[in-house]
Amino acid sequence: MNYSALIKDYLDDANGHLSAFDDSLLLLEKNGVNRDVILNTLGLLHTFKGNSGMMGFESLKLYLHQVEELLKKVNDNEIGLDRVIDGLLGSANIIRNTLRTIEKDPTINPDLTENIFSLQQLLEGSGNGPDIQAVDLLSYLGTKTDTIKVDFKKLDNLLNLVGELVIFKTRLNQIGTQIKGVVNNKPLTKELSEGFELMGKTVSELQEGIMKVRMLPVGNVFNKFPRMVRDLAKSQGKEIQLAFEGEDTELDKTVIDELEEPLLHIIRNAIDHGIEPAEERIKNGKSRKGKITLSAGQESNYVIIKVKDDGRGINFEKVREAGIEKGLIKPEDFLDEDGVLSLIFSAGFTTREETTDVSGRGIGLDVVNKNISRLNGQVIVDSIPEKGTTFTIKLPLSLAIIPALMAEAGGEIYAIPMSAVDESVKVKEEDIHVINNHEVVRFREKILPVVRLNEFFGLNKKRQKRFYLVILGKTEKRLAVAVDRLRGQQEIVIKPLDDTFGKSYGIAGASILGDGRIVLIIDTMAFYERKEVSAGV
Amino acid sequence: MSKISLPPSGLTEDVLGEIRDEPEEIQLVVFTLGEQYGVPINQVQEIIRVGNITNVPNSPSYMEGVINLRGRVLSVLNLRKRLKLPVKDITKASRIVITEVENKVIGLLVDAVSHVIKMRSELIENAPEEVLEIDTDYITGVGKLKNQLVILLDLGKLLKREKLDINEGGKSAAEN
Repeated sequence: MNYSALIKDYLDDANGHLSAFDDSLLLLEKNGVNRDVILNTLGLLHTFKGNSGMMGFESLKLYLHQVEELLKKVNDNEIGLDRVIDGLLGSANIIRNTLRTIEKDPTINPDLTENIFSLQQLLEGSGNGPDIQAVDLLSYLGTKTDTIKVDFKKLDNLLNLVGELVIFKTRLNQIGTQIKGVVNNKPLTKELSEGFELMGKTVSELQEGIMKVRMLPVGNVFNKFPRMVRDLAKSQGKEIQLAFEGEDTELDKTVIDELEEPLLHIIRNAIDHGIEPAEERIKNGKSRKGKITLSAGQESNYVIIKVKDDGRGINFEKVREAGIEKGLIKPEDFLDEDGVLSLIFSAGFTTREETTDVSGRGIGLDVVNKNISRLNGQVIVDSIPEKGTTFTIKLPLSLAIIPALMAEAGGEIYAIPMSAVDESVKVKEEDIHVINNHEVVRFREKILPVVRLNEFFGLNKKRQKRFYLVILGKTEKRLAVAVDRLRGQQEIVIKPLDDTFGKSYGIAGASILGDGRIVLIIDTMAFYERKEVSAGV
Repeated sequence: MSKISLPPSGLTEDVLGEIRDEPEEIQLVVFTLGEQYGVPINQVQEIIRVGNITNVPNSPSYMEGVINLRGRVLSVLNLRKRLKLPVKDITKASRIVITEVENKVIGLLVDAVSHVIKMRSELIENAPEEVLEIDTDYITGVGKLKNQLVILLDLGKLLKREKLDINEGGKSAAEN
């Protein structure tokens, strides 16, 4: 964010505070001392003071501090309200004029030393404080603000309407094509095409615009963690530096809200298991201070958020042992590194013998995986022993409109969120093998379990000689979903399903296609839950 | 009480009759599922022809699927299956009655919609359990018209999920 944008935000805020300050003073003048009003005013003055200090308006900050002190004295009955009310009202005008000076030229840092002095006298019981300073009449109106507060529900509603508009647009386009086929009037059909094109462009812009309005910088979430990291590090006798990268990356507010908890668990995990105590780090030739980096960036239609630590990395052997102990895998199971890493996302998993306040209770990372999947996202872990661990979260830009792969099975079309899809291949029936009553396929030197979509949903079981496998998941638990046909990729608007009669297992929602048909969106997590697949079955 | 206008007859009993009847008259949308069934008209939003219904896997067997009603995704109940009546195929006469109860909008698949009737509430009696094919829990009463009966459905109860249904399993399990 650049300085002029900051100044603008600051002035917007400051004018708001000032007008609330004015209101409170007028109320106090009219009705006498009222604790609630005074406490409220003290609160807003405090924020105002903090903001001013942050912006470097040192003198204004000190001045506001004096006003605060004065009001505190009134609250403590150390000074009579009637003695200082004029002084307070005067101070409001001084603040008003100061803000106006800043607004005209933000490079000026107003000096209020004299005014501070006069307030000090009033505080000490001598003098009458500031005279009511003459104020340019217009400045009573404050600055015109360029921002408005809007209830998020209203934006949600707008996005829904736009989603519908997108659907109607596609429908109209199809009708348009049909009309062109039957109407033999070149100029008219040409005009129709142009009309559709213009409308399409406007609708896209509208959709983009509304999605943008709902975006917030991811820094809003990042900024919630420095204090937590400091406290946890201190309680464990560790030294940790928390760094941010790309915190200006914007995400839909609903995604931002859902991101907090998963990040909390991952960061907590990094502090607890990743970063070593200072002595151990020095012994291993590392810097004394451990580092956790939160970064965010955009890649096509996805936002990538990483939590990277330079700690000891994940101990594969220890995770494997814990996995066996918890009965998640059998001792004879062969697991590669990815397979082992996927264990840490299992419910109830912990490598700790004793639980601490912080972690080791086996909750956390499974919640991370669940929450992120619910957002149609993905979590990937990479870990190098002694170098550190990186958790990568991949999320769609918006929760409401996502890219999806359209797949046909048993005569129905289903939408599979692209975020879950790795790739797809065409296969023959002979490529599918059966091991331990489970169907599997050999894919890129790995054995993947196969889920047939038509069987999973109890659809028409007619088998085709050639069909497609959609490979889901990245490094963690991968599996192949068998479908009859692929119908390409498409942006879809997610609509929730009515849950009066219970949630349908394996269905995350519905979407309406351009021709008005409904497609169901697949909840890919369901495949993992039902099969209880573990890598290397 | 609304305005009283004198009937042409001018007879007192006719005037009183009108006043007495007015507040107690209810309007019903009547449809057939073999028998005649009715729901209060204020619970009905509209009645539509049966178009594309998308099947929802792993849902209760009486869930016919979902439809697109002007950009909204609505669930449609197969009312015959819900009331455990013999199943009948969808025909040209079949309709979906879009109802709204307790802020929930749900479609009901019925054999045919016959008409809207006005009925004086004293003609509605408690449901005689022994003569009815369906569970009386879902019925508020039976309306007696000249030579027919209209069974009044309690949509509030009908649209509530029963605990039993959870164990019923998905459609696939039930039909396989």
